[in-house]
Amino acid sequence: MRRGVFESWRPKGGDWDRAAATHLFRRAGFGPRPGEVERALADGFETTLERVLANTAHDRRLRRGAHALLAAGDVETLQGWWVSLLVDDGAQLTERMCLLWHDHFATSDAKVDDVRLMHRQNEIFRELGLGDFRAMLHALAKDPAMLVWLDGNANKTGSPNENFAREIMELFCLGIGNYTERDVQEAARAFTGWGTAGRSFEYHAENHDAGGKEIFGRRGNFGGEDVVELVLAHEACPRHVAQKLLEELVHPEPTGEEVQSLARFLVSSDWEIGRAVEHVLRSALFFSPRARRSRIAGPVEISVSTVRALGARVAPVRVARTAEEGGQSLFRPPSVKGWDGGPSWIQASSWIARHNALAALAGAHGGGSDEAEVDLRAAFGGPESVGEVPGAVTEHLLPDGVDGGYFDVLERTARAAGGMDEALSLVTALVLTSPEYHLI
Amino acid sequence: MANTRREFLVNGLCVTAAVPFLSSFALPRAGGGERVLVVVQLTGGNDGLNTLVPHRQDDYFHLRPTLARPRGGLHALDDDHGLAPSMKGLAELFAEGKLACVHGVGSPVPDRSHFRSMEIWHTADPDGPAGDVGWLGRLGDQIAERDPTVLSAVHVGDEDLPLAMWGRSFRSPTVRDPQGFRLREVDAAFERGRDELVGRRRSDGGEGVLGFLRGAARDAYGAARKMEELAARSSPVEYPGTGLARKLELVARLVSGGFGTRVFQVSLGGFDTHSRQAAVHDALLGEVSGALTAFQRDLEHQGVDDRVATLVFSEFGRRAQENASRGTDHGAGAPAFVIGAGVRGGLHGELPRLDRLVDGDVPGTTDFRSIYTALERDWMGLAPSTGVGALELFV
Repeated sequence: MRRGVFESWRPKGGDWDRAAATHLFRRAGFGPRPGEVERALADGFETTLERVLANTAHDRRLRRGAHALLAAGDVETLQGWWVSLLVDDGAQLTERMCLLWHDHFATSDAKVDDVRLMHRQNEIFRELGLGDFRAMLHALAKDPAMLVWLDGNANKTGSPNENFAREIMELFCLGIGNYTERDVQEAARAFTGWGTAGRSFEYHAENHDAGGKEIFGRRGNFGGEDVVELVLAHEACPRHVAQKLLEELVHPEPTGEEVQSLARFLVSSDWEIGRAVEHVLRSALFFSPRARRSRIAGPVEISVSTVRALGARVAPVRVARTAEEGGQSLFRPPSVKGWDGGPSWIQASSWIARHNALAALAGAHGGGSDEAEVDLRAAFGGPESVGEVPGAVTEHLLPDGVDGGYFDVLERTARAAGGMDEALSLVTALVLTSPEYHLI
Repeated sequence: MANTRREFLVNGLCVTAAVPFLSSFALPRAGGGERVLVVVQLTGGNDGLNTLVPHRQDDYFHLRPTLARPRGGLHALDDDHGLAPSMKGLAELFAEGKLACVHGVGSPVPDRSHFRSMEIWHTADPDGPAGDVGWLGRLGDQIAERDPTVLSAVHVGDEDLPLAMWGRSFRSPTVRDPQGFRLREVDAAFERGRDELVGRRRSDGGEGVLGFLRGAARDAYGAARKMEELAARSSPVEYPGTGLARKLELVARLVSGGFGTRVFQVSLGGFDTHSRQAAVHDALLGEVSGALTAFQRDLEHQGVDDRVATLVFSEFGRRAQENASRGTDHGAGAPAFVIGAGVRGGLHGELPRLDRLVDGDVPGTTDFRSIYTALERDWMGLAPSTGVGALELFV
């Protein structure tokens, strides 16, 4: 019999090793903390996976902390708050999905210009991002930040605004080629009357175009909710969502068969995203060589996961700024398409920004780090001598292993350093700024 | 494959025959340096009708009850057209014969999606599925082939690298500002180690993403070193304090300082004016005009204006009829602008007729690729992306 695309992974012998555990932590969260991989290896794969899947509850104080910060009204403060949740151990899987949905339903404060609305949308991702996709889509369609962002509050009978109607089809749910221009225009008519009053959704019946519409070949007196339902019922919708999940969790170029298979699973599990994510994380495909280190880490991923890997204490706003300098400003994606990701993360200036930030985090500019409290020796399992430094650092940061040439460079640098602290700093900085580290 | 495209009008007077590329087409180098192309992208779909205003057509005022610009405030280019009030500088360049305005530029397969339309402009391919090579990337590839040591194409700004600049083998770097391009110093041992690590190649040749990362890192370190040398220079020409002006000032510095780059793209966003357009659009056009004028004056001052041509484009124009939010929705054709000392100034292409709209839009009557061919072949002396004949934009 033919094996399923997402056949469960059953690790044998040494399969469940440092590299496998790190892979799981990096994709289902933002990488391991010092000691986390050792614990995973002691507990075994099944127990660790259960723990990863249950890693969805923040310290309430941390999450509620936003309310005090929102009064400040600036996006930098809000970015810092989110980074504190991304770094926190409490809900790594939840936050991974939040970032995924923020990229997918990309909304920018550059236009919304209201951090309370941006925060509220972020909480939709946090509450529903592992739940029922249909409920999340309905919530986002009426989300005030989204309404402002895609001109849903300027959509009136007689002069429908097509912005949201287009993007729910083109970018959010179906993809180009699965709808017509006429579908967009008719859907825009159906959304007329939706808008905002203050910071809330409000329906204005007098602005609604109550006439008949035809969308995807079906006729009716459709309103906005009906369009959301029609989009969800479209055969392209589960594929579009599955594609996004696979690109982020498994491999940047999933096959048509993989997409189709996960799409079917998503529909059969009642659109529960959490179940689809579990389905993926349990699979042999997820742990296959094709998936491992197949993605170029984004600026938020690289910043947050490095802070976690080094057990560093850094001001969250500082981490957010580092990510921004690398080309990813939270709550400010470049367009409704989100970040292009992949190779487009790496340009001369963004690489230099990464280089500078990571070298600084390792304290490589001399005199220790001026921005972070870091105990590199503790982070790498307490190497006893300069000679042990290259091995300890690579074991933790590049658990898939490095070749002899790479290791030689680290050994030479460690030997040339003036003592243990400098050796740790320079070797860590070399690894962090090496291209190998940016593949996750 | 059935060709259902609308027959595309190319103005006979302005179009030369499509000829396969030969290096002999390259014009002699002017001013001792190589010719440079600067592309300014207006992201979001610029409202062409309120930029280059056809004020003699009464329909303009009917279609735009609140947004129509009064005749009085326009900078007249001829009897029928005027530039928006905030575009004084470009009107001066027009009077000096350094600005070409091309009417009704668009794609033969128009698309109202920002992303699809931008892809079409970026790849010069209105038909195919979007590839991952852009028209400026192709130029970058050709230049890099001749001289691999130079950064042939550079994207200036803090946006993602546009698809237009993706090459087959050459990857354009992004320069945000000279400061953001500076490597913090560590120590000599670290720098030696770092250069060794990014200089490594796998013996089996199969490098994939890792090879790409190493190449990008090497390019970044090389550019950072050069940039450091140029960062100290400054220009006596005063630029406005806008984002676009800062980007173009950096371009001027790189051109006059001999950075060696021949293709630049910069962009300015915010043109997706679906509601309450008037004030926002005026400010944007003011930023465009002010920045481009200062840029041109700076190039003139540095004596390099004869080897720089600048194209200004947007992914589409906007609907002729304004919407109920005092804005405009996505449209089709719109004017494009080419600026430079070597440019045939004036109005080019067929002027839009507001009584002959197509689906409510000013149609594209000049294929955008005819401008590309002119820039690629006639200006840069390189192989054009397509076989579409060139507009006669250069003297």
